[in-house]
Amino acid sequence: MIYLDSAATTFQKPPAVGRAMTEALASMSSPGRGGHPLAMRAADTAFRCRTELAELFGLDGPEGVAFTLNATHALNIAIKSLVPPGGRVVISGYEHNAVTRPLTALKAKVSAAGGPLFDQEAAIRAFDELIAPGVDVVICNHVSNVFGFVQPVEKVAALCRSRGVPLIVDASQSAGILPINMKSLGAAYIAMPGHKGLYGPQGTGVLLCGDGQIPRPLLEGGTGSISLSQEMPDFLPDRIEAGTHNMPGIAGLLAGIRFVRRQGTQAILRHEHALTCRTAESLRRLPGVEVFAHPGCLAQAGVVSFRVPGRDVETVGEALARRGIAVRAGLHCAPLAHRTAGTLDTGTVRVSFSAFNTPQEADRLAEAVGDILRR
Amino acid sequence: MEYDLILARSVTYAQRMQRALNRAGIRSQLFRAPRDLTDLGCAYVVRISPYDLGAALPILRREGLGPLRIYVQRGGDIQEMGL
Repeated sequence: MIYLDSAATTFQKPPAVGRAMTEALASMSSPGRGGHPLAMRAADTAFRCRTELAELFGLDGPEGVAFTLNATHALNIAIKSLVPPGGRVVISGYEHNAVTRPLTALKAKVSAAGGPLFDQEAAIRAFDELIAPGVDVVICNHVSNVFGFVQPVEKVAALCRSRGVPLIVDASQSAGILPINMKSLGAAYIAMPGHKGLYGPQGTGVLLCGDGQIPRPLLEGGTGSISLSQEMPDFLPDRIEAGTHNMPGIAGLLAGIRFVRRQGTQAILRHEHALTCRTAESLRRLPGVEVFAHPGCLAQAGVVSFRVPGRDVETVGEALARRGIAVRAGLHCAPLAHRTAGTLDTGTVRVSFSAFNTPQEADRLAEAVGDILRR
Repeated sequence: MEYDLILARSVTYAQRMQRALNRAGIRSQLFRAPRDLTDLGCAYVVRISPYDLGAALPILRREGLGPLRIYVQRGGDIQEMGL
């Protein structure tokens, strides 16, 4: 199987990830839940993972790094901490349901900063117009999970800082690929999965908490700290980490992060960007294929979408699966992104890369699409 | 043997203390806190030699890990130290 669905989850992991998970099952219990060696080994691994994440993403200390189930969980904590019921929120035009559904549940008044695909200037103009007095929070996804569009998150962050509005960044598609620095962004929260660009296992996510943030817990329960109090601790990360940790997941995530740091995020981005451009160019050469990519793939990370007028995207996805190529077709849990880009009526076929893909695999995809079109 | 125990409200804070001390060359051990030390239950202590306390306190404060509660452990007896 040629796996080109890494925007959903990176299926191919560094071998060290599986080994670390197996080792954790054999040698770790629960961090912060005892003083015996199995608990302390778990605590040590969790602390190392927090520390490496803090270093990678520019946090002052490891306590600002909270483990979650996934990016959706992290986003829910961030959103429900900052958005009051009926609050005013500005979001990008390319947000995922992980953002828009919690906002709907909160009955938030949402304004979307839209704009054409791959036009960062238009995006920043739209944010500039919408971030006005009375806005409670701004939420911006760093990279669109549908189109790979890299949003100008640094400029959005600067606008937020100058206007005193807290910012939540959804780094689901950028963590491990693009530079992200909590300190320079000055964000309130940055949410990310562990199982995509950080190469950890499914069931891992991370919420990075900015200075002074006291998030609202989604879950209450045991934390291994101040147990006589019936309130959740007011300190991080315990405040939002009720219940037993996913230690095999955290151990695997640590191994994944170390892989990313060894490779270097710049090298991974360069690799994925090259595959994206190669794929976009190959698909464009096929008659009738509409490819969503800027010439030169500017402002685009390792994701490219396409569609074939007159053909159902799901049918194309299935035909590719029959040829041994895994892609994702449909709306990608991001109807807003499709509405903004004008593809809501059809959806797209999405191709997304990881550090493990090769140019040959990208070429096989284009050949397979060509073959499907000829039938 | 006599030790000084620095109380930490969670394992993560205790680990931060231990890391900061290690960087400064101060040896320490991390343990669950004896029940009598914690008003609210379930905490950790970082145990150091009394000879290192003078050097340890400014390091921990610089790391933003204060306010600190320190105990002197002498055999089975533990007393809070006024700072």
